[in-house]
Amino acid sequence: MLSRLAAIDPAPTIGADPSRSSLARRLRVGGSARYWLLMTPALALMIVFYVYPISRVLWISVTEPQPGLENFELLLTSASIHKMLLTTARISVLTTLITLVLAYVVAYALVHAGERARRWMFLGVIVPLWISVLVRAFAWFVLLRREGLINNILMTSGVVDSPLSLIWNETGVMIGMVHYMLPFGILPIYANMRDIDQRCIAAARGLGATRSEAFRKVFLPLSMPGVVGAGILVFMFSLGFFVTPAILGGGKTLMIAEYIKVQILEVVRWGVGTMLAATLVIVIGALLAVLSRFVDLRKLFGSI
Amino acid sequence: MTSIDNSSALSRRSLLKGGAAVIAAPAVLTSPLALAQQRKEVVLVNFGGAAMKAFDEAYVQPFAAQGGRIVLDGSGALNGKILTMVQSGKVTWDICDAGITTLAELGPRNALEKIDYSIVDKAKVPAEFAYENGVVNYMFSSVLAWDTAKVKETPTLADFFDLKKYPGRRMMRKDSQAMLELCLIADGVPQDKLYPLDTKRAFAKIETIKKDVLYWNSGAESQSLMRDGECVMGLLWHTRANVLKGETQGRIAYTFKDGLLQPGLWVVPKGNPAGAEAFRAIASMQQPEGQVKLLAAMGNGPSNPAAQALVPPDLRAMNPADPANVAVQAKINAAWYIENHSKTFQAYLDFISS
Repeated sequence: MLSRLAAIDPAPTIGADPSRSSLARRLRVGGSARYWLLMTPALALMIVFYVYPISRVLWISVTEPQPGLENFELLLTSASIHKMLLTTARISVLTTLITLVLAYVVAYALVHAGERARRWMFLGVIVPLWISVLVRAFAWFVLLRREGLINNILMTSGVVDSPLSLIWNETGVMIGMVHYMLPFGILPIYANMRDIDQRCIAAARGLGATRSEAFRKVFLPLSMPGVVGAGILVFMFSLGFFVTPAILGGGKTLMIAEYIKVQILEVVRWGVGTMLAATLVIVIGALLAVLSRFVDLRKLFGSI
Repeated sequence: MTSIDNSSALSRRSLLKGGAAVIAAPAVLTSPLALAQQRKEVVLVNFGGAAMKAFDEAYVQPFAAQGGRIVLDGSGALNGKILTMVQSGKVTWDICDAGITTLAELGPRNALEKIDYSIVDKAKVPAEFAYENGVVNYMFSSVLAWDTAKVKETPTLADFFDLKKYPGRRMMRKDSQAMLELCLIADGVPQDKLYPLDTKRAFAKIETIKKDVLYWNSGAESQSLMRDGECVMGLLWHTRANVLKGETQGRIAYTFKDGLLQPGLWVVPKGNPAGAEAFRAIASMQQPEGQVKLLAAMGNGPSNPAAQALVPPDLRAMNPADPANVAVQAKINAAWYIENHSKTFQAYLDFISS
């Protein structure tokens, strides 16, 4: 997982390590410098093949069609962009909330399941990760459409009289997105819950708390770091969704990724497209910066 | 070797043939074989799928018989891709299967070569579809299709907007092109007075059925929405409607009446590698025989007026460019799109997503 990279960051503790390798002492390389040296190849690769090309693309946002910030002015003035940003934010927030609730339940069950059952449950969580987002969107189409499996069952069993509108709207988009995001919600929450000392709950019960009190006052607060971490991850991914809204939204759900695609490939307003891409990068960066003041991001992403 | 700018595999092969060829080079230069070798490879980009085989039979083979070479690339020449190539100065495409919107967005940005009408024959295309930066390759239509299981009589375009008469979902394209024209025709605007488009009036017309409309992105999506019974009526390309009609044994029907006739266009990116050879390829593709083959394979209407008479009687009903079908359709106006495409398309997307 991407978190592995963040997990390998022992720099803060290394300076205090009295048993520094003799090789390093002989080379007279400082503790953190040594690690910077080890990181250099990876860092250089990132700069050359990632940071540089992305900066060049984002540069277009202040140079096309004329140098200046007029593309960014559209963020304040364009009704079209406002509406699209609102749709994107609404769908992303709702997707994140629903995903967190479902992921919490699944993670809770995972932590409390027996070894054998857990292995099977993990398979159920991980396998969808390997299936293409496109295939999954089409699978939902088969299930959710007017004459699809779900509506057929509901109709024949007499639960509803007319088919439910489960697809071609924001409901359909969110069903597809929540399904896609669930593993990204479950894994961080599970990792966090696994580390909660179960004796705390036993202690709470021993001191007279009911089952629900012990959960609300002890387990839930202890699991919050995992929930916040999963929330960030899911929200960031949700902002950039393209395929699922395009297929399950019936053409009526315009989110930022599709909006950018139209600007770049069809109406060829590259300045506007790259401005939105830059905005997305800035918003996600700012989000992480703010959250890092409240939670330890390193521990968060390293804990998966 | 025979020429410096001969970048093809053929030149390499002749190099391998060894010294004899080198020694004989001056003689080879004047032979017909050498002339054939000198002709550059023309890269033609379309949207892949069934078009690869159909284009090969209709266009590539006849051009090869004349000593030219067309190579097909099915990756789809979207406006942004063409512009990226032209601006980076690394153009690898010679001819793109494009449309009016490409003229509208890339013409003003100076990213297209002017069509060389000394090579491409203007007499072999309808005059209104020969533009400065693009020339018609085939004709297609945006038409009304319906599900005969749910709509018993032949509906009109006005019925498309009448939910009382025919309840059920409708389908439109997620693109303003042709959709606005069909809205206006349904609202009573005469076919020859569509332009300049009254976009407000068109949007108001969509508003009357908006909650029941789905919008398709790709042609395949338009087929699936009709085939699966998700929509009872739809506005889509006649080529797709035609495939649906066959697949469903006539359950899905369509009509050219009140459709919009549009040209598919050949455009040549600025600074294309094969230079004028691209226009020779376009000229070759103007031959009626190949165009009729394309009609039989994919339903794309021949653009050469001389081809219409060659169309076998059983294919005439599906030919959008057949005189009988042209008579009942409106025609797109490129000049209006060059002025208005970008803002109209954006307004349409904003409208349908609100």
